[in-house]
Amino acid sequence: MNFELSEEQKMIQQSVERFVQENYDLPTRVKLSGDGVGFSKEYWNSMAELGWLGLPFSEDDGGFGGNQIDVIVIMEQFGRGLVLEPYLSSVVMAGGAIKRGGSDKLKQEFLSSLIEGSKQLSFGYAELQSRFDLDDVATTAKKEGDTYVINGQKSMVLNAESADAIVVSVRTDGAQVDKNGISLFLVDADSKGVEMESFPTVDGLRASEISFENVEVDSSRLIGPINEGFGILQEATNDAILALCAEAVGAMEVLYKDTVEYTQQREQFDHPLSDFQVLQHRMVDMFMEYEQSKSMLLRATLETVQDPIAAQKTIHGLKYLVGKSGIFVGENAVQLHGGMGVTEELRVGHYFKRLIVIDSILGNTDFHLHKFTNFD
Amino acid sequence: MDIDLSAEDLEFKQEVRDFFEENQMKPGEDYFSWRLEWFKKAREKGNWDVPKWPEKFGGPGWTPTQHYIWEQETAKATIPFDLPFGLGMLAPILMSYGTEEQRERFLPDIRDRKVNWCQGYSEPGAGSDLANLKTKAVLSEDGTHYVVNGSKIWTTLAHMADWIFCLTRTDDSGIKQQGITFLLFPMKQEGIEVKPIITLGGSHTVNTVHFTDVKVPVENRVGEEGKGWTYAKGLLEHERTGLAGLSRSLVALEKLKDNAQSITRGNGTLMDDSGYKSKIAELEIDLMATEYTELRSLASASAGEELGPESSILKLKGTEIQQRIQKLTVEASGVFASAWGDKPVGPHFSKGGMAGYLNSRYYTIYGGASEVQKDVIAKNVLGLTRSKTK
Repeated sequence: MNFELSEEQKMIQQSVERFVQENYDLPTRVKLSGDGVGFSKEYWNSMAELGWLGLPFSEDDGGFGGNQIDVIVIMEQFGRGLVLEPYLSSVVMAGGAIKRGGSDKLKQEFLSSLIEGSKQLSFGYAELQSRFDLDDVATTAKKEGDTYVINGQKSMVLNAESADAIVVSVRTDGAQVDKNGISLFLVDADSKGVEMESFPTVDGLRASEISFENVEVDSSRLIGPINEGFGILQEATNDAILALCAEAVGAMEVLYKDTVEYTQQREQFDHPLSDFQVLQHRMVDMFMEYEQSKSMLLRATLETVQDPIAAQKTIHGLKYLVGKSGIFVGENAVQLHGGMGVTEELRVGHYFKRLIVIDSILGNTDFHLHKFTNFD
Repeated sequence: MDIDLSAEDLEFKQEVRDFFEENQMKPGEDYFSWRLEWFKKAREKGNWDVPKWPEKFGGPGWTPTQHYIWEQETAKATIPFDLPFGLGMLAPILMSYGTEEQRERFLPDIRDRKVNWCQGYSEPGAGSDLANLKTKAVLSEDGTHYVVNGSKIWTTLAHMADWIFCLTRTDDSGIKQQGITFLLFPMKQEGIEVKPIITLGGSHTVNTVHFTDVKVPVENRVGEEGKGWTYAKGLLEHERTGLAGLSRSLVALEKLKDNAQSITRGNGTLMDDSGYKSKIAELEIDLMATEYTELRSLASASAGEELGPESSILKLKGTEIQQRIQKLTVEASGVFASAWGDKPVGPHFSKGGMAGYLNSRYYTIYGGASEVQKDVIAKNVLGLTRSKTK
């Protein structure tokens, strides 16, 4: 048992930190966010060159053989800069599904181009009615000869408009809400019958509503066994939860530190705000929420690396805690910045918005507390 | 970074389990003789009687992982009670600031659980503002002894203690942190009066202690005269880490679940009540996170970094968790929560539960109230100092 990052991981951490410092000040982020696909293709290519996109893939798949620890190291630094590039949807989620269940041919075709930055992927798992239940899947795929025909819709698909292909969870058997009978397919974004409505999200990222009307996919695009895609879906989304929570921890760190700095500068009633004990204690609470979130993130990540099935309950606990802590730290950072906190001008509001969104992705605080509470 | 236990660690874990198993108290055995025998065997096993002592002073020299395993296993097993005062509070001070002679004189008896110590810190006028203490120690003209006069309050188990380590004032000309002197003296002597304080749960744990012309030889002074505050601050840090009690909370949480399970509600139990079990879940998650905060703190301590801010977080979070467990026990008692007579009424845990809850209120007060802990974190970690009024 040890809590030290390896030398390689420390190097990655430093290089991501430097990248964020040099490339992600607030005006740059705002500009990138409002431009086209909502991120920088140039940055994406740099990330490929630096090897970050290949980190969590095995050497056989063309990657560097890293695991969830490497991903949280990167994502924590991304969280400090509110990085826009689609690492989560492309590498962690879609890549995570393909590496677990894709055929050799599928891996060869998509993982290598994902790792070198030439292809970008996304993952559609939510639907209008599903809320946070991954096993509530109304979108269907029916087998017709060598192809499957998909009908239905997927909601809030992150960075879908720039993706070349999208992993989609579909129902191939069973009732609408059922862990059995779910299959995963990799669908080309330009397939006939795929319609996309893309829009910004409140945190400056982009998502899409996607409808599928008689979309034909070849059976070779199946990820994992037919009807048994749920396990892969859950493992990939668990990795995504770890990644999101790492991002949240990075964002919380920026928020509590910015707040400490701001209250030391801002004077009211002839004192710096930081003189007031009621504010000091609030900042201590923010600091503690950050530390506790970081502890739980480490716990969930290390347990996942050891045994992903056994770690499930801890992952529910993590997403609950980070959702709650993130919003606490965000709301209080805004509160302690006073009027300036509610402007677009300061960065705290942007971090706050990202933390709200993180709580709403892949199950919010209530959802995961319920799962944790009823876990057997 | 990983949490896999190495082959050696797994072996250690099994050894610890075997040791606990082999040395259980036998039916009919006298508790106190079993206790002493247990520590003797733990010592023979490899200095397991003083897990937290440094190797240099006879400790086992465990890795952080071994400490973690020990914590986890002690939580599950029944092992004899230990008090923190001598073992965990005074001993580290003597190791850091005591003379060779003092160490030889006091450490062996602490280790053998022969001498019970109590802590003479708080005073009627010095609670959270501990440095404001007034108990006077005046050096005799011939320089051979101090004469101590004054009062201490909230002195835990003073009525059962053989010795006290005591903060006294030898000089009040400077700022209040200066002029404090750290003295050791026996409790059973003329001039010391111990009076019980009964706390909300109806129990006698704490006391007031009055000193009238108590003579203390100079060789019982730890470190330099007037420097006691520096030593005390180090001690407070030890106290704070010890007070988190996470392994005890793990056991208490399991017991709480069992208790709630024994209360029927409709066709199920209280553990089927969604509101109640959500509170248990929130508590459990906080405990899981705090365990890792402790592990992180252990890891940085073993990397040679100073015991840092984590220790303050641990006291705050750990004591809060203890209180929440007590509170949920009272909730589980339902209508029987208030029964206070000698005869048991309602669920078996209800009276003990209420007493435990009431007593637990002092967890966030002793060892530096939570608000003081927050002041400490604000200053030492966040770098927030309060400036003078303009």
